Amino acid sequence: MSNNDLALTAHLMRRAGFGATRQELEELSTRSYESLVDDLLNPERFPEIEEDVLDRYYPEITIHNNPGTWLYRMINTKRPLEEKMVLFLHHVFATAYSKDGAPFSHLVQLDLFRRIALTDWRTILVAVSRDPLMISWLDNSENHKNELNENYGREVLELFSMGIGSYTEDDVKECARAFTGWTFTQPIPLYPCGHYLPEFEYLAEDHDEGAKSFLGHTGNFNGEDVIDIVVRQPATAEFVSRHLYSFFVADEAQVPAWSVEPPRDPDAIEALSRKFIESGGSLRPLLRLLFNSDFFKEARYARVKSPAELVVGTVKVSGAHRFPDPGLVQLGEAPEYMGQHLTNPPTVEGWHTGQEWIDGGALTERVNFAADELGDATKPGVRYLVERLSGDGSPISPGDLVDRTLDLVGPVIVSDVTRDSLLGHFRSDGDLRFETEADRERSEALIARALQLAVSTREYQFA
Amino acid sequence: MPRPYALLRAGFPYLKTVGMRRNVNHPVDIALGRDGRIYCLCSMEISPNTGVATITFDDDYLGHVGGVGTGEGQFIWPISIVVDREETLVISDSALHRITFMRPDGTFLFSWGEHGSGDGQLDRPAGLAFDAEENLYVVDTMNHRIQKFTKDGRFILKWGEYGDGDGQLDMPWGIAVDELGDVYVVDWRNDRVQKFTADGRFVFSLGSSGDGDGEFNRPAGVAVDSDGDIYVADAGNNRVQLFSEEGRYVEKFIGDATLSKTMIEYMLPQATPLMLREMSRLEPQKRFRMPRSVVVDGRKRMYVAEYHGFRVQIYEKHAIPLSEDQIAPRVESRKLRTI
Repeated sequence: MSNNDLALTAHLMRRAGFGATRQELEELSTRSYESLVDDLLNPERFPEIEEDVLDRYYPEITIHNNPGTWLYRMINTKRPLEEKMVLFLHHVFATAYSKDGAPFSHLVQLDLFRRIALTDWRTILVAVSRDPLMISWLDNSENHKNELNENYGREVLELFSMGIGSYTEDDVKECARAFTGWTFTQPIPLYPCGHYLPEFEYLAEDHDEGAKSFLGHTGNFNGEDVIDIVVRQPATAEFVSRHLYSFFVADEAQVPAWSVEPPRDPDAIEALSRKFIESGGSLRPLLRLLFNSDFFKEARYARVKSPAELVVGTVKVSGAHRFPDPGLVQLGEAPEYMGQHLTNPPTVEGWHTGQEWIDGGALTERVNFAADELGDATKPGVRYLVERLSGDGSPISPGDLVDRTLDLVGPVIVSDVTRDSLLGHFRSDGDLRFETEADRERSEALIARALQLAVSTREYQFA
Repeated sequence: MPRPYALLRAGFPYLKTVGMRRNVNHPVDIALGRDGRIYCLCSMEISPNTGVATITFDDDYLGHVGGVGTGEGQFIWPISIVVDREETLVISDSALHRITFMRPDGTFLFSWGEHGSGDGQLDRPAGLAFDAEENLYVVDTMNHRIQKFTKDGRFILKWGEYGDGDGQLDMPWGIAVDELGDVYVVDWRNDRVQKFTADGRFVFSLGSSGDGDGEFNRPAGVAVDSDGDIYVADAGNNRVQLFSEEGRYVEKFIGDATLSKTMIEYMLPQATPLMLREMSRLEPQKRFRMPRSVVVDGRKRMYVAEYHGFRVQIYEKHAIPLSEDQIAPRVESRKLRTI
């Protein structure tokens, strides 16, 4: 196994998952890259998270103000790509609790995303169109045959499939007509006995049965018919491909600019779009192509980690939260402080990503979180890294200390400037020694400090 | 009083519902005091409602004590509550690994407990039950065992280990002691209830995984009445199941809730929720929603606390005790008759 293999494996696991521990990386690196991709694409080979244990200690699933249980899933899932796709779909089909505050609805929606994560875009669009949280969020429950509300019909085209510039205003109206009657049941209200869930309901009497002309097709279309037409459009293939590229490969312009900004890598988008069309919108072949491509393998550190990725990836290294312990609520708040309040995206467009994750306050939160997490030597992952570095008790030079900590928490490849800066913190300390108890104590403290600095680097902010 | 030889089970009707979301917030367990007091242990991490809400059988709200935190009389993950003869509240906390004793008015008395796996140490304590001498059985969840202590926390004995064999446990939760001193333990992750003698000798096990009659999906609470009937809060199946003293399945309860007095008082001025209720299908509101605790009082009334229902449903057992000469003798091999 070469270190390059391990670095590539780490790259894959950061993107297709939420990172991996050093032990996991060393084990995974003994296998072929393609087989790792195959496993990621077939999550059903691996067990689901132990729901019963999570539910025993965190049964109050008010996920809207506590996404901690979702972060727990990201940390502990044996199906990393499935869970990563849940985050992807939450970003694309952004819904926020702030509109109606029904907390259980997000749990249901995230479970739905888990089930459809690796299916095809048609299945996803139909499922999302039937999701009460989405129907409420984009007002399709107010979309009646005699009184259209175009909100959902518009976003199906603008944000969920084709993108601006690929359809007309008439298409929006016809799309909305096709979704009339798609609504949900009125749940029993919160008081006095707690939340009950709405369910999808199709009201035939409220559906517009008239002929519709949509994207050059004419017929008495219902919602599924419209989706059938939409997923066959080349614009949809390109739009979804660009979303996947931006989420998994490299930061792109923000979604609203896609109608005017060309893709960062047009060849990659073209290859993905072709596969989308060939496969009828199936995501597994598309993602297999993506993860096995050179453009993916070469795109290391080409994305700024989202707050969720930063938090979960760091906790995976620290070894915390491997069992439902107290503190998940506070953990759930961490991405919010960095600008990503899961289940409460700022708009229907989701979050602005890439460099826009970073501002002065968010960067401070990101660095502080990572440094605090790895500065706690009682955490099992930190303890492991300290012991791994102190190893056989041989002296460690300052240069070795910097290189080995960067390697163990990533591997993180840093610039010469960053390395020199890190080295500056340890040069005057001389070699780390482990002969006496006092030596060991001092050296372990320096190792912990080096771990904190490694995750405080500019480069660690990138996936 | 000796147990009856057999019972003529006349019925077990629903009686009433007490509590509501504004005062009973995520009840994980309940304990019964004198004069109809119902101590509802509410548990929700970081919520100020964590602690004990006291209501009455007549559905009057008497107040709330406790709160979230690590200080004296505070809780992070309170799991189980029992009361002693003086009506001291005794509460386990799975996060703080300790047992807290406090008065109903919230006055902290003392606590004990230390995290670990040695004798007398605890790892996520859950269910609590007193024996006749007021020694305290504590379910030691992550050590997969039962420990018995004096009230002031002196270790007496322990039994159990991780596994799924007779007498072994997997993350046990609830516990009850009957009037004969036998101990019933909810073996949570094995989906069963095990009966032990007072010193931990295995007697029998009832239940298995599933949702059929007599099967469980992560049961949480257990109670035993003076007839020897065993009640199991089958939380994952949203029901309570009743078994005879030999462990024979008798019947199940799925919930029959009506609005409590406080619910009605709260709802009457709420114009919008009243309108929404008129648009809703109300059937689901009757049903249990994650019942985590079941207790039985001296009148054989069954109280079921629903974690997601924010309430307590009460049923009353109607059963006539039968003597040996009133009922035909049991036969070894069942001979069924059609009439």
